[in-house]
Amino acid sequence: MSRLLTQIYLFEEIFAALQDAFPDEEFSVEDKPMDDTFLTLAPDRVRPVVELLMEQFDIYHLSTITGDDVGDGVRLLYHFWSGYGITLSILLPYDDLRIPTLTDLIPGAAFYEREVQEMLGVTFEGLETPGPMFLPDDWEEGDGPVRFPLRRNADEKG
Amino acid sequence: MSKITVPIGPQHPLLKEPLAFSLTLEGEHVIESAMRLGYVHRGLERLSQERTYVQNVHLFERVCGICSHIHSTTFCQGVEALSGLEVPPRGLYLRALLCELERIHSHLLWLGVQARNIGFDTIFMYAWRDREIILDIMEDLSGGRVSHAVNIIGGVRIDLTPEHRDVILGQLDTLETQIEALLGVVENESSFQGRTRNIGTLSLEQIRRYCVVGPVARASGLDMDLRRDMPYPPYDQLKFRVPVRYEGDAWARTLVRMLEMVESVHLCRQILTTLPDGPTSARAKRRVPPGEVVSRAEAPRGEVIYYIRSDGSDKPARVKVRTPTLTNLITLPDQLQNISMADVSVVISGVDLCIACADR
Repeated sequence: MSRLLTQIYLFEEIFAALQDAFPDEEFSVEDKPMDDTFLTLAPDRVRPVVELLMEQFDIYHLSTITGDDVGDGVRLLYHFWSGYGITLSILLPYDDLRIPTLTDLIPGAAFYEREVQEMLGVTFEGLETPGPMFLPDDWEEGDGPVRFPLRRNADEKG
Repeated sequence: MSKITVPIGPQHPLLKEPLAFSLTLEGEHVIESAMRLGYVHRGLERLSQERTYVQNVHLFERVCGICSHIHSTTFCQGVEALSGLEVPPRGLYLRALLCELERIHSHLLWLGVQARNIGFDTIFMYAWRDREIILDIMEDLSGGRVSHAVNIIGGVRIDLTPEHRDVILGQLDTLETQIEALLGVVENESSFQGRTRNIGTLSLEQIRRYCVVGPVARASGLDMDLRRDMPYPPYDQLKFRVPVRYEGDAWARTLVRMLEMVESVHLCRQILTTLPDGPTSARAKRRVPPGEVVSRAEAPRGEVIYYIRSDGSDKPARVKVRTPTLTNLITLPDQLQNISMADVSVVISGVDLCIACADR
């Protein structure tokens, strides 16, 4: 087995620990094809849950963060991996596109967060952004429709 | 001592693709570095939402100009899982054959670039000469040297005759001899070691903090390879070793890639000799049932991940691509810290950059 992890925990163990730590939170769990489990959380739960995953289960490998404009808000998917996939799913409403950064826990998250910030306009609080990453330096400023290219309304002419 | 700032890129002889560095030097040593991506950003994720699944197979093959096949493999794998489509074993084996050939091709190309950057042009010439064997095999198999268009949703479009298989087995024997000769040079040649040992060293702790993948991670002692740790078919049927080194420097990265090539030759031989009979593809429906999937595979540079969400139509609602280069790039500021200006080229090419991949 991989020396990446000292031990691979069953998802059931992880889920039981999460429920112990957050007894009043109702996590919704969905199994997806190709060995991945999606866990839906409230935005303010992301940091404590990631801290728990890292401390108790040594899950530190964040594969990437997907930002997806689903029509009723922007959905963020934190894809973790530890022998199988664990994805944290968070829905941010359009009028409050803010979430705390994970870069102090996982420095490797910086590029993924910067990408989501640039493409979808989600603000990661506490993230350092030294200029744009993929978009040109003179990309449209302000809140025009093409400001964030992966938003649903990005094609509308402003 | 006064500081000077040296720009490298976006167009620079050291870089084969556009990427910009700004290095602040104090005397000969780098004390600060900044990096800018985005010069080949093509908006592929957005474009994929306007294309059908069938068209997207060809679109995602163009994410990368070196490891093109692994991208369409990962995409097809995800779509097949969403559709509940079973790919015939022969199709899976032929897919994996191309993946392994591509791994050798990518590592040989990289070895040439790295050797050129450290001023060892002989290795560059030999590595690229041997790479031609791989390109010939791939051209005979698919008709393309780099873009193969072999994958279709449900399998592969190519097949192999027993005669052709024997020809490839012969070519692999030649290749193995050449790779072992190159491995001997990398392992023992003092001038090669002088330029790569203890340069750009990354500790296991740094690798874990930055979520680094692929040969860069395996050269620092992180034993992770999705082919073995999350075996997607047909790798669950194949036997191979995963080379790991613990030095964490540019030399270890070279060795890991060289040893991986030897393993890949063994894997190709194993695939060719145990190739199951039967059809090479299953018929796929044009529309994909609603759902979402995270598809992972081990590219030559490490873990590649595709997130695909389907809304039930013939076009994906969202495809997210994360290539290994983007992950490995984040370690460069740490690696460049306090090294001599002369070693910058070795460090930058040591992580095996593919900027088109990182930008998408």
